[in-house]
Amino acid sequence: MKDILRVKCLLSADVEALINQQIKKEAHSSAIYLSMASWCNRNGYDFSGDYFFKQAEEERMHQLKFFKYVLDMGGNAVSPEITNVKAEYNSFREVFEEALDQEISVTQSIKNIAARCYKEQDFVTLEFLNWFFKEQREEEYKARRALELFEVIGEEGTGRWQIDKHVGQITYDSEA
Amino acid sequence: MQNLTIQATVDFNEVFSTKHGAIYQSDAENCWYIDFAGKLARFDYRNILKLKKAVYQIDIEDLLLNGANSPDLEILFICACDHCYVLSLVQIIALKELLQGTFVMLELNHIIQDRLYRLIG
Repeated sequence: MKDILRVKCLLSADVEALINQQIKKEAHSSAIYLSMASWCNRNGYDFSGDYFFKQAEEERMHQLKFFKYVLDMGGNAVSPEITNVKAEYNSFREVFEEALDQEISVTQSIKNIAARCYKEQDFVTLEFLNWFFKEQREEEYKARRALELFEVIGEEGTGRWQIDKHVGQITYDSEA
Repeated sequence: MQNLTIQATVDFNEVFSTKHGAIYQSDAENCWYIDFAGKLARFDYRNILKLKKAVYQIDIEDLLLNGANSPDLEILFICACDHCYVLSLVQIIALKELLQGTFVMLELNHIIQDRLYRLIG
């Protein structure tokens, strides 16, 4: 008997479902960053606002990368519904704490897909995921460095103003 | 809704059957024929996945416990597909069982193809 499911689609139903979940996660992430950009902008943290706008765009780009991969492999990519986007934050610092939490959770979620791929020996998807692992190194690095500014500079006096100015300058250039 | 008659020349493989129905695969047409609820309906790759999703999404427990005021019927309508099913709760459970068995068999077939034929051939 012909293996029609495999002929039509490279991905197993489980991996496809996991990637669709990831698509939703990236979209949610993008929405949260946009919300953070709004909060920062409203409260006078211009540079951080721009930083989060950029992050929102990057997450959207990640979402589309997953989306197109599913379609290219013959699967069904689902455009997700996004709800539960936090709009208010208690402090400038809280925004960055949540940004780092967000990135850690994304890394974890991609690791989870990779674990499933190993189990199924889906090396094609694993290779595709490698790009994201490298990207997550950068994302977590940037979020962690931003949060560290609060320790290094301190929030007293013009501290927050200084922190805001430095957030946009964080770059990750390791080629390792 | 159309009722199809099986042509003698069409080569069918039975994928899975229960006492309520059966699902056959046609290699020549790349599709499946579902013999259920008194009709034989043709489903291609996209449509059988949509049917699976639609059936799996029905909350049987909720219908059993909270369906006192609603008629014991579900209409399964698949977008861009010629067929629809109007099923009672018992039939839904039977169809779900049939589909679950079918997808397990298709998965098994996939494993066999992968391990035996694709490696050697």
